[in-house]
Amino acid sequence: MAVAGSAVGLGNFLRFPVQAAKGGGGAFMIPYFTALLLVGIPLMWIEWSIGRYGGGFEHSSAPGVFNSLWQKNRFIKYFGVIGIFGPLVIMIYYTYIESWTLAYSFFSLTQKYSGILDQASMQSFLRGFQGLEKNQYFTSIAPAYIFFIITFVINMAVLNYGIRGGIERFCRIAVPTLFIFGIILLARVFSLGAVDPGKPDWNIVNGLGYLWNPDFSQLLNAKVWLAATGQIFFTLSVGIGVILTYASYLKKGDDVALSGLTAVSVNEIAEVILGASIIIPAAFVFFGPAAIGDIAASGAFNLGFVTMPLAISRMPFSEIFGFLWFALLFLAGVTSSVSLAQPAIAFLEDEFNISRKKSVMMFGAVTFVLCNAAIFFLGKGVVDELDFWGGTFCLVLFAAIEVILFGWIFGINKAWEEVHHGADMRLPRIYKYIIKYVTPIFLLVVLGAWFFQEWLPIIRMDNVSEANRPYVMATRAGLCLIFLALSILVKIAWGKKRKIRKEKI
Amino acid sequence: MTKLGWMFMLFSWTAIMALAVFCFTKVFKKKNVD
Repeated sequence: MAVAGSAVGLGNFLRFPVQAAKGGGGAFMIPYFTALLLVGIPLMWIEWSIGRYGGGFEHSSAPGVFNSLWQKNRFIKYFGVIGIFGPLVIMIYYTYIESWTLAYSFFSLTQKYSGILDQASMQSFLRGFQGLEKNQYFTSIAPAYIFFIITFVINMAVLNYGIRGGIERFCRIAVPTLFIFGIILLARVFSLGAVDPGKPDWNIVNGLGYLWNPDFSQLLNAKVWLAATGQIFFTLSVGIGVILTYASYLKKGDDVALSGLTAVSVNEIAEVILGASIIIPAAFVFFGPAAIGDIAASGAFNLGFVTMPLAISRMPFSEIFGFLWFALLFLAGVTSSVSLAQPAIAFLEDEFNISRKKSVMMFGAVTFVLCNAAIFFLGKGVVDELDFWGGTFCLVLFAAIEVILFGWIFGINKAWEEVHHGADMRLPRIYKYIIKYVTPIFLLVVLGAWFFQEWLPIIRMDNVSEANRPYVMATRAGLCLIFLALSILVKIAWGKKRKIRKEKI
Repeated sequence: MTKLGWMFMLFSWTAIMALAVFCFTKVFKKKNVD
């Protein structure tokens, strides 16, 4: 349930519908399912298997797990640092965005935005809340900061009780609640019909058509394939290091093949059935086909925090449906953010023998300080920078390392045996070849294509405004320092272990 | 919505639901055995 909670997140309800609508509607599902079958599901099985394998050596984070897989190599543990660094960087901005959903669910109940009737004013409401401008709605960032602190404390409280007592127990309540909220909203959206009698074409069926009518010309566009692959990573939480940590707590006889596939199925229901059927069709019914293209192009967060409140405010009982929508996002966010914290906490617990409570406190103190960069420099490109390095680049890089390590270094025959250990079902034999050849080639092509096309403009900050460059530079320097600090911690932990081993001898 | 749109949507939903039913049937069977 904890892994299902980790996989079900904001990406299902905000990111997927926008990606699908922009990427050719129904045709987007072809690259999407291809990436799911060739990259998503194999990576799920790989992460579950290597996590359980590493857990057998009492390691629950990527440096230790990688070291157990390739014990002869002294440097492989440093590659595992990416598996702590990536989720930590995502956590820095994800918690803040998650706190907006809590704030908006409160604003829905108190009808704070109920009088706003146009996109520009709702955008202004959001910018005021984020502290990007002072306006009639907000005069300071204080409300956003208070909701951030509440969200942060909730996260730390759940983490404090550990995986079984905290995260698992929370997900047992949160995931079914989230699905119930999703089904209620889905039923409401599907019963909207056409809200304006003068515009009968602005109806729910055509709203679904906007999302599902295939545009096959998009299939030749490489960017759509990359977007579909990126969505699979983002939505399944693979390539982050989180699943690997959860799987390390399994027993040797637990069925990782079935667990991995079950987590995929839960995530896909949340994404393709619920996520796709709420936000775009609702926006279509209220704003029509001409506006919806611009709305979708304006990004997932605009759609979630600007368009959706406007659409909901036109429904009867808007305060209740608004609350349900943002509470759904909040629950989805918390189930994911607590999982993002787990690799770093597990690293402190396992490699330094620090108690759970102390590890959570240390992690909380460091992350709280770092989150302030995302809060106070949101308008300076800091969050975009964190999202690129933590939420995009590290994911693909870490996944490529994992799959090569498992299929080639550990050896595909041993790997195949490891996946099937304790499993009731036999995986299709073709996956042995997919894990060994197709998934690594797919990932290396994506990395290679990025390297040749994008690295120079990104390094030169071509797409960053002159005013934001110092902030982006500072963010990069900060990220390098975090990575360096984590690498030093790995070195110290292994140095300590070596010393203990020598003393025993 | 076009016919193809309906087909894409229904195919995707059916495939995902079938996967979920397959997985949860096995999960519950396993739980009952344990």
